[in-house]
Amino acid sequence: MTISKTSSGSRARTFLTRLEGPQTMGRGPAFWIAVTVAAAAAAAYPLIADAWTVGNAAYFLIWTFMAMGLSVIWGYAGVLSFGQTAFFGLAGYAYGVITLNLGAAYGLTILALVLAVVIGGLFALVIGYFMFYGRIQGVFIGIVTLSVTLVLETFMAQTAGPQWRIGEARLNGFNGMSGMPPLTLPWFGGDIVLYPGPSLYYLLLGLVVVSYLGLRIMLNSRFGNVLVAIRENPHRVAMLGYDVRLYQTLAFAIGGAFAALSGALYTAWGQYITPSSMGLTSAALPIVWVAVGGRRDITATLIGTIIVLAGFQMLTIYGSQYALIVMGGLLLVTVLVAPQGLVVGAMTLLGRIFRRGKS
Amino acid sequence: MALFQSVFAMLYQFGDTFAFLVISCAGLAVIFGMMGVINLAHGEFIMCGAYVTASAARGGLPLPLAILTGALVAGAVGMVVERLVIRHLYQRPLDSIIATWGISLIATQGVLIVLGSTMQGIGTPLGSIDVGGRSYSLYRLVLMACALGLLGGLYLLFYHSRFGVIARATIQKPQMAYALGVNTGRMYGLTFGLGAALAGLAGGLYAPTMTMVPTMGATFIVESFVTVVVGGADIFVGAAPAAAILALIKAGLTAWYGQLFGQIGLLVTVILVIRILPGGLSGWLKGTTR
Amino acid sequence: MTEILKVHGLRKAFGGVVVANGIDFSLSAGAMHCLIGPNGAGKSSFFRLLLGEHTPDAGTITFDGSDITGLRSFQRIRRGISVKFQVPGIFKALSVRQNLEVAFQEHRHGQSLSATVREMLDFTDLRGEDKTPAGILSHGQQQWLEIAMAVGVEPKLLLLDEPTAGMSPDETRKTGEMLHDLNSRGITILAVEHDMAFVEQIARRVTVLHFGSIFAEGTIAEIIDHPGVQEIYLGAADD
Repeated sequence: MTISKTSSGSRARTFLTRLEGPQTMGRGPAFWIAVTVAAAAAAAYPLIADAWTVGNAAYFLIWTFMAMGLSVIWGYAGVLSFGQTAFFGLAGYAYGVITLNLGAAYGLTILALVLAVVIGGLFALVIGYFMFYGRIQGVFIGIVTLSVTLVLETFMAQTAGPQWRIGEARLNGFNGMSGMPPLTLPWFGGDIVLYPGPSLYYLLLGLVVVSYLGLRIMLNSRFGNVLVAIRENPHRVAMLGYDVRLYQTLAFAIGGAFAALSGALYTAWGQYITPSSMGLTSAALPIVWVAVGGRRDITATLIGTIIVLAGFQMLTIYGSQYALIVMGGLLLVTVLVAPQGLVVGAMTLLGRIFRRGKS
Repeated sequence: MALFQSVFAMLYQFGDTFAFLVISCAGLAVIFGMMGVINLAHGEFIMCGAYVTASAARGGLPLPLAILTGALVAGAVGMVVERLVIRHLYQRPLDSIIATWGISLIATQGVLIVLGSTMQGIGTPLGSIDVGGRSYSLYRLVLMACALGLLGGLYLLFYHSRFGVIARATIQKPQMAYALGVNTGRMYGLTFGLGAALAGLAGGLYAPTMTMVPTMGATFIVESFVTVVVGGADIFVGAAPAAAILALIKAGLTAWYGQLFGQIGLLVTVILVIRILPGGLSGWLKGTTR
Repeated sequence: MTEILKVHGLRKAFGGVVVANGIDFSLSAGAMHCLIGPNGAGKSSFFRLLLGEHTPDAGTITFDGSDITGLRSFQRIRRGISVKFQVPGIFKALSVRQNLEVAFQEHRHGQSLSATVREMLDFTDLRGEDKTPAGILSHGQQQWLEIAMAVGVEPKLLLLDEPTAGMSPDETRKTGEMLHDLNSRGITILAVEHDMAFVEQIARRVTVLHFGSIFAEGTIAEIIDHPGVQEIYLGAADD
């Protein structure tokens, strides 16, 4: 492999130019102004809303990581994973077990968060290894991943007995774990405990922005190029000298790590995690967000996820079973009417109108 | 005598698991094997069959007829679903799987809203027999016979009937079948309906042994998926031996280490099988001739 | 002249069907060689064996001085074997530029990559089409794009499976010129081809494959005059 002799400055520039590229919608000053405005509005939100509403908005942000990870796996790499909740749940339990044992002092909750993401990502790496190096393809990946998450759910649901404990932490079976500490930042003159509210919201918002921009760079890089090429024609990619299995496994691990990030943050946010977070209904929801938004674009996935989550919560006022019916209906309509995703459709339309207005 | 007793207990456990795997995966396997579609609403068709069976039985219908009714209603619902949704997605098999998940969500929650969180069940009929001082449910022995009957029936249907021949031809060479005047759309509709009816039959057969809740379909779904994955794409070559092997593993582990290890054993088997035999059992069995 | 490819005793059977029946074959570096034979002679299977998509039952494949028989496809490609399939194997939803970038990015970066992409757009006559989705190019253009992509792995040996299938005579002639251009840059070329006019345009030597074995080998004139070759082609036409 040749290493280009560019200065670090121009390398940083190349790096930043990858924020735009063929794999991601949105380019040019107008788009970035819109992104900045959106981020600024999100940052100003806690100034006008009460703490409870802000904590609630933080809850929406938590799920976007799992959604963006699924977009990488499903939309970009073309691998249909139905089991992202397995990594979500595992990381949630990992955060719980670690924090209940280590406590919240000295920033150990942050360490627990990192460890939980690593555990979730490694688990995805192992599952991915067995699937892709075993040449599992297409629908079988969907079945295997779904089976993994459902078996984990069953496993966790039967850990009610007192023998199911890891150190201080009881797994508690069907009722799940609770009482773990929220994220706690060590600070001069006393730790800052991030209960659902503005401080947690800002941390999550920062993470979302960093993840979103980081994924844009990754997707427009050489790695992202190969991923979409694999989605289009894996055979040809192998015949260009790429180890397709390795790329798929890595993409799957990255997506799994993002699901794990959601899971650990969710546990820290609500201070509980239950086996049903890995069940059939929970597993369906990421599919709904990503499909409705538009799985082949990270921006559409992000926007779609937040819109669908907000809509879901509004409907929950009438009962969550009604909201789930609407989710199922939304999924059906998307697949039948706008398979590329509703947000992608809207963005394409906007882009067309905008361009017409300019010329 | 003690030996006979424990051998019978093992056989019973094996037969019970085998029957459960065969009966619960048949509908999924027919739709997947014939159409390449993984029906994620499989569990909801099972639930549909179970609910209809229980209602009909409590309405006074004899149990066998009630089960049949359950299967027929599930089959009819399946044909409607095929007509309204699946038919539009034949060019996009992955999207049709997603669509069946949407249907699954709607069905589970719809039943929850309309019929409430639980429905009065029907007791297990036939009582029990006594072997060496331990009692065994006679109805579960009937289920084992049903599983064998089901395998035989499917074999006859797909290999010795006009429907089966046309169905297999349609799957192998859709264009050719179409050119020969086969109404391929109707064949897909019937196949999907058959798969749904088999799921309904599973629900009906197990209705007397289970608690009737809208999410009861999920109980079946992992085991049916696992059987289909291990069996591979060709259900006739793969599913029955897969069910037998998995039943052996699960029954053995359950007997020695308990329920949980039985289930973990299944998952480990699946992961090992996909690593060693990517095409599943049927791919491996047929691969020796290719 | 050094041998770039040497195949010894290559055998492969699927059940009772023998697709390679002890093939001995060698190719010198820098050659332009055509492989012909009636349908079912085992030409495509031979390619798949060379590429590692089938594992041989017996025999060895030596490429560029080392035994590659046990290597996986992508490892062989990295050693310097590249391929262009009969059916265009391009990324239809991606732009022409992206297709080329995926092909070339392993060996070139930054400025060098964009320069190479520009050069390849010229080479394939696809200037101005770099943003076009590859799937809406004409059939001939898709074939050329794939040839250009196959060059991206910096191959020593380029395998082409019926590169001119479905092309007009003009396109066929241009394809021949492209292959001569690549050969002059030092790439050894082995092509399966039916069109004898094209074979004459590109090949110096020809090998005839029949029932999974080498039936004859020689210059194109020798092959055309070979009575046995005429017979197997006529015989195949009777089927």
